[in-house]
Amino acid sequence: MIRMVLGKLGGLALTLFLASVIIFSALLLTPGDPVSALAGGARPTPELIAAIRAEYRLDDPVWLQYLHWLGGVVTGDFGRSFVYKTDVSVLVGARFEVTFQLVLLTTALIAVFGLGSGILAAVSGRRTDMIVSVSTSLGMALPTFIVAILLIWIFATSLGWFPTFGAGDEGLDRLWHLVLPAASLALMFIAYISRVTRSALVAQLHSEHVETARVRGIPWPRVFRRHVFHNAAPQILAISGTTIAGLFAASAIAEQAFGLGGIGSLLTEAAARKDLPVVQVVSLLLVTLFVVLNAIADLLAAAIDPDSAGTRRNA
Amino acid sequence: MTRTTRRRRLTVAAALATVTVLAATACAPRTGTTDSSPEKIDAATLVTSLPAATTAVDEVTWAVVEGEPQTLDPSSSANIIIPNLCDSLLTVEPDFTLESGIAETAEWIDPVTFEITVRDGVAFWDGTPLTAADVAYSLERNRTPASQWYAAFALISSIETSGDDTVLVHFTAPDTTFRDALGGGGGAVMSKAFGDTVGQDLGTSGGGLMCAGPYRLDEWKPGTEISVTANPDYWNGAPLTERIRFVFVTDGATLTSALTAGEIDGAFTVPPGSRQSFEAEGEGRLIAGPSTASYSFGPASADSAAADPRVRQALSLAIDRSTYIDTVLQGLGEVQKTIVPPFVWSGMEAKDIYQDAYDALPAPEVDLDAAKKLIAESGIDTSVPLVLAVPAGAKEFSQTASIVQSAAKDIGLTISIDERQPADFGALFYTPELREGIDFVATTGYLEVPGVLGYPQLFMLPAEIGGIFNWSGYANDEVTADLQAARTATDATTAADAFVSAQEIFAADQLQVTLAGAYQLTYLSDDLTGITTSVAIYSSPWALHLGGE
Repeated sequence: MIRMVLGKLGGLALTLFLASVIIFSALLLTPGDPVSALAGGARPTPELIAAIRAEYRLDDPVWLQYLHWLGGVVTGDFGRSFVYKTDVSVLVGARFEVTFQLVLLTTALIAVFGLGSGILAAVSGRRTDMIVSVSTSLGMALPTFIVAILLIWIFATSLGWFPTFGAGDEGLDRLWHLVLPAASLALMFIAYISRVTRSALVAQLHSEHVETARVRGIPWPRVFRRHVFHNAAPQILAISGTTIAGLFAASAIAEQAFGLGGIGSLLTEAAARKDLPVVQVVSLLLVTLFVVLNAIADLLAAAIDPDSAGTRRNA
Repeated sequence: MTRTTRRRRLTVAAALATVTVLAATACAPRTGTTDSSPEKIDAATLVTSLPAATTAVDEVTWAVVEGEPQTLDPSSSANIIIPNLCDSLLTVEPDFTLESGIAETAEWIDPVTFEITVRDGVAFWDGTPLTAADVAYSLERNRTPASQWYAAFALISSIETSGDDTVLVHFTAPDTTFRDALGGGGGAVMSKAFGDTVGQDLGTSGGGLMCAGPYRLDEWKPGTEISVTANPDYWNGAPLTERIRFVFVTDGATLTSALTAGEIDGAFTVPPGSRQSFEAEGEGRLIAGPSTASYSFGPASADSAAADPRVRQALSLAIDRSTYIDTVLQGLGEVQKTIVPPFVWSGMEAKDIYQDAYDALPAPEVDLDAAKKLIAESGIDTSVPLVLAVPAGAKEFSQTASIVQSAAKDIGLTISIDERQPADFGALFYTPELREGIDFVATTGYLEVPGVLGYPQLFMLPAEIGGIFNWSGYANDEVTADLQAARTATDATTAADAFVSAQEIFAADQLQVTLAGAYQLTYLSDDLTGITTSVAIYSSPWALHLGGE
């Protein structure tokens, strides 16, 4: 187990390093000129443009810019936003909280409804299975922004139960504000996790050892817990890890639709404005989250069933 | 304003019925397709400001549709928050006349010397008195090309204080644009001591500001909101609204539902496409005010067919302005004859001269035969498509592009559309290489202070004397001489005469094909009043009289 954790950490460091190189160079190679972000509202003369390029080292070779940036990141200096002229860490810090809470609530919804409906579909009768199957097809087909518009119409504009906009204040007000964004973000993933859960469980239900256990007269709840769910869990966990990690990036659409100033909307906005320091740090943060969450899911799966995790890793 | 109770309490059944109705009707403003032409608004009924409020209000939530400001530093940004924080030397009134502000007087004392006398008893938010040194410091910050307002400061040779309350600005030549510019962000006064302390962080979320406006900067939570509180010691009387929370909503659909549901109390420059939703039953009302904003497109290079005035005139003759206004602006705009919008001179001393000249300009009309003739005369190769660059993601521009495209088709021209992401589109304006392969660029803009030369200087003068958007290399000696004369005249009549003489020529050459003037659109909660509703919101403290009805 310790070897596995160490291995994971090494892989994580390597992944992050490669990701940082790719993120950094990809951004410099994409079209568009960061000077537009830097100049703000001014109508710059050629002299001003030259001064800006010199100040922000835009004329240095890419590798030198990268080393300079990496040096900053390692020492905790994430640079200044071209657009807001303020420390990237301040910008990102302020917005991370909202996104984190949104992802947490979305994860809870996915866990309850995704796992719940998947289990229900696997163990109930044919009719329930059908209903769940049709609903999940629909859920997977509806893009987040469409769901957001629908939810706003029904539950905010018409019924007035939830606010249409903003993150509200701390505590319960925040929770209340995040329900609709989380629901619109969760729907597609609920459907996805539901399907994965159902098929993983069904595969186990029809397996030989479950048949054997049932024939031997072991009580059904115990068979389900010890054999069916236990064996299906690593697969469900692995998929869930990727899904939850992906939520941080996917949140952009829900954040946009509900006017939440989070990481996702910061990233899209910064990319559109060519605010390189912000895009670099946020991308790196998202990659880190993705890798770390996946590693955690793997470790959890391994803790539940070492054999299964081992096989999956070697596969 | 925080609402403790919601006005509408509907049962589930009633609400679901409403949803069905919305699905049938509310789709229209979102997609911009309507069966009948929207009702036009009579220009005479435009509202410049609402009656001053009489009752105090604790808190108002205001949406900033442009999104989170990059900075609150008045010299690097123009947005609707700054004018309430940082008073300018002069004030642009809602009707676009210029009145005194922090400056008691601001006048030319000879053709190249401008004298500013600071009003008595004006203090910054922290209580320190505002002095001539602060004025000189603030003006000095605009004497670099990095300032938004540099154009109006370019002819200054030096700025000096001559006493505690007097500043003298010396010029290399007379400049009629300078006094007008003092009404906007270029004339905003900030504390020198504060600026020296925070340095380059001035105006950022971390550095903050120290000004003398009716509201004090309270807190800037990046990504979330900027909140300001009433300045009880404001020289022109304390505001009735204790606190304004500025939230950033760039998505038109989100903005529309939050406004009509009453979660946001007001917003400026709301999308015309949501007109139906705004005029339907909701928590507030839509107000149309006069503006200097317009939509237009112009040539992007000197070696394109677009650089030939006849091609632009032909396109202008092919575009039906009335359809344009109905489609893109939902009827909330007006035909504008030339690049300089009438509201910009409506409060100026020589306004009659400007008005007469404007009246004399031909109104745009549709004449396909004349247009085809012009294309034939120009001798351009009509088999080569002309590329029109527009910003991606803005409905108004995708509609503009298709209207121009279809009008061009009627006269035998092919237009292909090049949609560009905001940063790439913005970069077109000062990176010549990026304009390669582009023939036309579509834009929108507004002028925040009075003064007729803002656009002509940028688009018609040769590049080396300020025509930084003169991409087609337009050079008409008469126009250049007249524009320079209008700038350096020492009296309003001479300046106006020189300008209208230039306008007679450049209007016909259509350096920008003006498509329409857009009204200033405001949505405000029914419970509130007292705000400015003209384009003066970008330069005057529009929330000073905001409060309960």
